[in-house]
Amino acid sequence: MTKNFLEINNVTFAASAKSKVNNVSLTIENEGDIICLLGPSGIGKTTILRTIAGLEKIQSGKILLKDKIISSKDIHVEPENRNISLAFQDNSLFPHYNVIQNIEFGAERNTKKKKNLTIDEVIKFLHLDHVKDKFPHQISSGEAQRVSLARALLSKPDLLLLDEPLSNVDQSFKEEIQVKLKEILTDLKITTIIVTHDSYEAFYLGSKCGIILDSQLKQYDDPYNVYHFPNSIEVVNFLNRGILVPAKVTGENSLENDDLGTITGNFIKHYPKGSEVQLLLQPEDLEHDDKSNLKFEVVDRRFRGTNFIYTLKTGSNKLIPIFVHSHHIHQHEVDEKFGIKRPINIDHIVCF
Amino acid sequence: MGKKINIWYISSFLISIAVAIPIVTVFSSFFETTGNYSSIIKDTFLYDYIFNSLTLLIGVLILTFIIGVGCSYLVSFYSFPGANFFKWALILSFAVPAYIYAYSLTAFFENYGTAFSILKNLFGEGNYNAHIPKFDGKMGAIISISFSLFGYVYVLTRASFHYQSQNLIELGKNLGFSKKKSFFKIILPSARPAIVAGLSLVAMETLSDFGSVSFFGISTLTTGIYNAWISFDDLALANRLSFYLLIFILGLFILENLSRKKAQYHTPSKGGFKSKSLTVLKGYKATLALTFCATVFFISFLFPVLQMLYWTIIFPKHLADLKLMELFLNTILLVFLSSIILITLAFISNYGNRVSKSKFLEILTTFSISGYAIPGIILAVAFITFVSWFDNNVVNFFGFNTIKSIFIGSVFGLVIVYFVRFYSLASNGIKSGYLKINYSIDESAYLLGYSKFRTFKEIHIPYLKNSMLLIGILISIEIIKELPITLIMRPFNFETLATTAYIFASQDLLEAAAAPSLFLILIASFFIIITSRYILKD
Repeated sequence: MTKNFLEINNVTFAASAKSKVNNVSLTIENEGDIICLLGPSGIGKTTILRTIAGLEKIQSGKILLKDKIISSKDIHVEPENRNISLAFQDNSLFPHYNVIQNIEFGAERNTKKKKNLTIDEVIKFLHLDHVKDKFPHQISSGEAQRVSLARALLSKPDLLLLDEPLSNVDQSFKEEIQVKLKEILTDLKITTIIVTHDSYEAFYLGSKCGIILDSQLKQYDDPYNVYHFPNSIEVVNFLNRGILVPAKVTGENSLENDDLGTITGNFIKHYPKGSEVQLLLQPEDLEHDDKSNLKFEVVDRRFRGTNFIYTLKTGSNKLIPIFVHSHHIHQHEVDEKFGIKRPINIDHIVCF
Repeated sequence: MGKKINIWYISSFLISIAVAIPIVTVFSSFFETTGNYSSIIKDTFLYDYIFNSLTLLIGVLILTFIIGVGCSYLVSFYSFPGANFFKWALILSFAVPAYIYAYSLTAFFENYGTAFSILKNLFGEGNYNAHIPKFDGKMGAIISISFSLFGYVYVLTRASFHYQSQNLIELGKNLGFSKKKSFFKIILPSARPAIVAGLSLVAMETLSDFGSVSFFGISTLTTGIYNAWISFDDLALANRLSFYLLIFILGLFILENLSRKKAQYHTPSKGGFKSKSLTVLKGYKATLALTFCATVFFISFLFPVLQMLYWTIIFPKHLADLKLMELFLNTILLVFLSSIILITLAFISNYGNRVSKSKFLEILTTFSISGYAIPGIILAVAFITFVSWFDNNVVNFFGFNTIKSIFIGSVFGLVIVYFVRFYSLASNGIKSGYLKINYSIDESAYLLGYSKFRTFKEIHIPYLKNSMLLIGILISIEIIKELPITLIMRPFNFETLATTAYIFASQDLLEAAAAPSLFLILIASFFIIITSRYILKD
């Protein structure tokens, strides 16, 4: 029984000076776990995957897979000997073989593994039936991405690395593929690291999410905590899920904001009374109330299907987002006044 | 993966070093002392060599520019009777080496030549010789070389015109440009890098031409090198002259490379490209376009073929005396051996560079492929110089028997020099094939458990097999036509079609040179026809 399935200990990932992530430490505890790495473009997420796959070397720290060092300053197991699969973001299909032949390359590997996944099953769930006899140049980038995913999946590696696996896939069956992908990965117990810029995809697929910002792994936690309890202003800004407003701590469970007045709730971190803090306001923290006398001007309204996101301008010129269910009885136009329910109570108060 | 010294790295390194040896020999010769002939040359012929080389160069560049750009413009932008035929037929001129063109030109226009016979048959006896123009000397060489080489300008310019987007043409119309103004302001400038690249190749080939200038008795740097070595036995001087010529050619080589890099800016993006609609020419304009292309096709290809065919038929004795099968087999043997060696080693070297990702190897390879810019005659001389030096200093030192006979005057030595001369053709061909394979494809193979050798064997070779075939054929065409290297390096009594034609022509037996010349053109044409689709595309 191994301690951790994958361990990355204090590794600096660097393909170039620009794409560098320093001193990363993270673990995947169990075989079959799925983790996601989120971060802006060009930050070095792909470099992390390439290094784990053995396509880049490391100068410090070490990477262990099933308790065996695969990368360190002195040890470098060649990629072909790691049993790690990487589905690249761009087209990495063999151009002179058709789709089915490309997929078969994956199936040739690890044929002895117990649980079997057939080529037909994969082709069906990835909607590749209609292109299986075509060559890579004859299919769309979304289809190529799915073929690459199919090939990687069928190789049934110890560790599967997916680089933006569904970024070019049509929205119409993206969710369906996400569901099926998660099911297959869990069923076959394929440990997976997924790099994505889509936070919803990461929150759905990953049992843990890593946020990479400013050349660092800023937060590595389960998706709920990453979303609700971001550990830094940078993570808040990256997830773009709220704004920070100035507030003053007035008690064990309350604080005061110039525009919103008293806000109550549970602090996730203790601040002494009288502290000046930055309060994270997420769109779902406030509620709409037409009868409220706390009103702000609507400066923008975005329709998001299930809800509207209104952006309100406060007296001190702060812009606050607020969700309203799209079945709400009426809509508010820009420049109209918009009421906010009082008293304001936020379940968990995040401050910096 | 970081660079690593492995078997692929070492192979690529050794191949590049082998190719670079003759080049280094030429450069090092600059510091050697030369014989008395050196000062004689300096005082007498050197000026002539340089002047003649330059006049030849300027004349050829002007003529190839007019013919090459003119033809490619017509077939790329207009539709007229025969346009589709001329598109590929014009590249048949590659099958006619300049020296065979020179034989045809002389055979037709000389006193009592073919032109005289035609006039006599048509109009009876007369003093036609006085009125038939004589294309000999520099004029003859300029015409011969131009019609044999304009294909470079034609093919590259046509490719550039072909990929010019309709958007560009429409932009001109939108700005209210006339056809003439569009041509000079938009079309020509955007094809400029391709034209410069074509002209640079023509310039390099012109400066290294040996067959036609020696036939017309023009003293150029190339014939100077040959004479310094053959007539005056001064290898050091031959190398010194080679060095001067090499500097000049390397300048052109750099110019060509720079312009080719710029050419990438003119490659259309996948999304914005709109293919051109051709302007249909009618009436006298169609006739003019047809006449221009037909004349170029006739002069560049049909004329030498017909002239050689005519003499082969009217002098059947020469054909009967010719050991045609032997010449053919010798030629094919050289083609086969060289192609196999060149492609195999170029493939290994390119894969070595790809796997090791070493900057040093890249630089070494770039240096070694400059062998193409070096005239064959220089390479042959440099190779002999190196073998002699190695034999005298290394082999003798260890007390072994001389190795000269293994390398000089042998098929083995000949193939080695071909290898150096045409290595860039093979290497660049493989490299451009490799550029189409994204590196992530290799990485995918490694991640599927494929070793480097297995990736090479099962992924790269099947993918690049068409490129290899094409490169093989292009090398074959060059080797079939190659003259100076074969002439200098061939074993005693070993003749090819090219050397036989040259030997007869140099003995003033043009009619005997006709049959081997004709067969040489036909074999080269065969290879060109089967690859024309690829040549025009790439």
